Amino acid sequence: MSYKLGIDVGGTFTDAVLINNNVVHNKGKIPTDKDNLLETIVNAMDLLDISKQKIEQITISTTLVTNAILQNRLPEVNLLLFPGSGMKLSSLPWPVNYEVLEGELDFRGREVNPPNQQEWKQLVERLKSSLNPQIAISGKFSHRNNIYEEQLASYLQKELPKADIALGSQLGQTNFYRRSLTTYLNLASQVQFLEFASQLKSAIDTRKCTAPIRVLKADGGVLPLSKIRPVESIYSGPAASVLGALAQSSSEDSYVVVDIGGTTTDIGLVLSGSPLISAQGAKIGSFLTNVRSLAVRSVPVGGDSVVLMENNKLKLANYRLGPAFCIGGYNPTPTDALRYLNLTDYGSHARAEESLASLLPESKRQPQDIRELAEEVVRIMVDRIGQAIEELQQEWQDEPAYKVWEVLHHHEDLEFYIQLSGGGASGIANALADRMNARTVLTDFSEVSNAIGAAMAKPTFSWTLNLDTYLGRYRIEETGEQGKWEGSKKPHREVEQFLKDLAYRQAETMGIEGSSLQKDQFDYFPLVESYNTVGQIIRGGMHVPPGVSGRIVK
Amino acid sequence: MKKTGIVFFPAFDWSLGESHPEREERLLYTQEQIFEEGIIDLPQVKQYSPGVANLFDVMLTQAVFPTPHRHKLDAHLIAVGSSMILSKALMNKEISNGFAMVRPPGHHSGATVWGNRGFCTLNNEAILVNNLRSQYGIKKVAIIDTDVHHGDGTQDVFYHDPNVLCISIHQDGRTLFPGTGFTDEQGGPNAWKSTVNIPLLPGVGDEGFLYALENWILPRVSEFKPDIIINSAGQDNHFTDPLASMNCTARGYGKITDMIKPNLAVLEGGYSIQGALPYINMAIFLALAGEDYSGVIEPHKPTRSEIGGETFRTFLAGLKQQHDNLRPNWTLRQEPYLPAGEWVYLEKSVFYDTDWFKENRREYIRKCDHCGGTVLMITQNLMTFEKAALVRIPFQACDTCEQAGYDLAEHFKKAEKTLLLQNQLRNQVHLWSQGEEVSLFES
Repeated sequence: MSYKLGIDVGGTFTDAVLINNNVVHNKGKIPTDKDNLLETIVNAMDLLDISKQKIEQITISTTLVTNAILQNRLPEVNLLLFPGSGMKLSSLPWPVNYEVLEGELDFRGREVNPPNQQEWKQLVERLKSSLNPQIAISGKFSHRNNIYEEQLASYLQKELPKADIALGSQLGQTNFYRRSLTTYLNLASQVQFLEFASQLKSAIDTRKCTAPIRVLKADGGVLPLSKIRPVESIYSGPAASVLGALAQSSSEDSYVVVDIGGTTTDIGLVLSGSPLISAQGAKIGSFLTNVRSLAVRSVPVGGDSVVLMENNKLKLANYRLGPAFCIGGYNPTPTDALRYLNLTDYGSHARAEESLASLLPESKRQPQDIRELAEEVVRIMVDRIGQAIEELQQEWQDEPAYKVWEVLHHHEDLEFYIQLSGGGASGIANALADRMNARTVLTDFSEVSNAIGAAMAKPTFSWTLNLDTYLGRYRIEETGEQGKWEGSKKPHREVEQFLKDLAYRQAETMGIEGSSLQKDQFDYFPLVESYNTVGQIIRGGMHVPPGVSGRIVK
Repeated sequence: MKKTGIVFFPAFDWSLGESHPEREERLLYTQEQIFEEGIIDLPQVKQYSPGVANLFDVMLTQAVFPTPHRHKLDAHLIAVGSSMILSKALMNKEISNGFAMVRPPGHHSGATVWGNRGFCTLNNEAILVNNLRSQYGIKKVAIIDTDVHHGDGTQDVFYHDPNVLCISIHQDGRTLFPGTGFTDEQGGPNAWKSTVNIPLLPGVGDEGFLYALENWILPRVSEFKPDIIINSAGQDNHFTDPLASMNCTARGYGKITDMIKPNLAVLEGGYSIQGALPYINMAIFLALAGEDYSGVIEPHKPTRSEIGGETFRTFLAGLKQQHDNLRPNWTLRQEPYLPAGEWVYLEKSVFYDTDWFKENRREYIRKCDHCGGTVLMITQNLMTFEKAALVRIPFQACDTCEQAGYDLAEHFKKAEKTLLLQNQLRNQVHLWSQGEEVSLFES
């Protein structure tokens, strides 16, 4: 008998589950200690007494990097850019400082202007003073040709042996701006993440557990602790919500995932059993990144959001001040409204009434008045969630399409139901069903749904190929691999086999089964010069989509 | 904030032939450039996904004969529909301007359509403009065509329409397709001077273009007082274009855009797909978004000799004078089926260079002091010898012209195998084939 352990560190609570053969064997919930996530995780493990079972894998969804970025607790990184010509850098908001270097490539990675070695010497002079300089190098079109980044990196590494250097081309998706910022964040969060990883590993070792540790990513996939890029672990919470719902529903269903937390409600979309992935990378704080993420919305409203009365107008605050009044807190919350209306049954009804009444003038505290107030609170909450659902569905409808075929077969009409989880989910089910004109379904293990999602998550990865047979160069966006193409100038099956072999080989090292790889559409662009076809640009991909390893049985 | 919309539809699975200039690869490098630069991440930019136009919108503006179902229109309907996504966003005040970077182009496609010419089957801008007039009450539109080729299709659609000002500045027709666009083409009898053609000698660059804009085009536009300005933003005036011989740069195009200040720019031609398009598309877009485009610099330098300075200014002054001095000389014609009034007669021959055949067309325009005048076109495809008639009751038609349109339709329903009634006044379209009405919505 072997067990899967899933832990989701949330803003307010940390959930943990032990799953054996798709059955929830044990579960638990503890408050999150924001200042000590490692201890929170270890406490959650001890709560489930993991040393008593044979654990086959541990999956962690953590806010470590998210918090470090949002709370501005990152070390300074020297960001060096080769922007070449084009749009002014100042047209886009850069949340960090950067330094501009000479050297320009064009859109196929051909050299236009060489770098200036003199600049590099001066750079070394300035960086010499720092003990362990953190250096991110990012060039426009470096995802097509990493020559300048590589040259500068090897020069700097020689001159500054203690420097940590990261290259933009290693995160090789198109978009110089996002690639630069993502490279920056990844390097900046590396030290904290590695420290966390090694402490976690030793904490688990001391509990005589040898199970591999996996980390949940924003795209709903997992990777081994040693293989993940720290920045990819941001926003794993909403991804865990979606996966939790996935593990507790039928495999071909289409639904909206609504996970109501203490202060935020996470919303995701599942289309015929596949979570919707955002067409753009994630935005975190003031950083736009190219981190692949599920298309999700986090609405700042939850069961513990404080209800306020300002100038006779009812408001739901974006924050929480402890638990709901009806379960011993100090402020009226949506949870109190739901309790008063008997839509839920936890907490004291009398206290719920007391908290709501306190918002009304003394002359207006008749049962009818309190009832109307409670209904209004629920209506506001449901309306905010409803709006976010509509936005997300619109995002799905608005996905860009670049081919005639894609436009003509844009989206089939799907019928959505709403999969609800989290505290108070049962209370708003009917109101939300009315607002969205859709059926609602309550998740069975509502309170630990995210931890289930983490435990059951499968690995994801993708290999996007860009091959220019005329220049004889190929690039794999996600790994940053760039190499010489020695095959045919107009290949067909050959190139698909090439990518397949490469992906299978690398999948194995990441613990991904070859059978889960899926081939994407390959696009062949004939390269024409003076009416002659001289080569091809080929774009194609292999990917492992997000998913779960099984469905939870009650 | 002043929002700029973009719809990018490169039609990566559509071409007119493997090595044809209008092929899959055409916007590939533009995509690489604009997405790598991160223009979609500019705070004032909103990207829209493509749309598909319906045949009603098409047929209200263009008569696609013998029926639209006989043509392969998918890619063209998406180019039109995508452009219209932006015009709708403009009307809904979501954006203040926008750029439809779409393939295939449309400005050689005219009032009657039997096939593809100059890579165009449907006219993106013309259909969009009439949609704005029929759905949003827009009255006056200026279309400025800065493609190197004469925008003959757009001119043809609006030739009799006094409320649409069509200005085309291009390399002259003696040296370039489609061979038209001289100063004598200035509009039909009810729309004289609402068409302006500025044919330039090969070799003109940024300086000449900007001079012509400042001294001729912009004053004419401001005199016209349009509600909306559309730019047919062809990019083949670039010094690297393989089909034409002009000398403009990407930054020149940025400046052109800055001066025209179009509400919408719609991509037309431009076939230097590596040397020009990635840069011009950037410059035009940045200019629309109010960003600095002075850093958009092509890797190559111009090598063609440029016509500018005093030589150009003298040339343009002569051209303008010729244009201003021209007076029309209309031929009136009587036919038994023509309702009461004076009818101007015109003849036209159109060559479909993609499919290699000719169309012959006879036009009758009812002279009218109150409206654009009802138009009758009788057209024949000289390859298949199929004939068809188009009757157009214009926007804001007067009662007499409206009635004339119905009378003509009644006659040609029986007299011709195919008849299209474009009732722009009532926003109705009817297509008859052999006396039976054809639905535009069957697939």
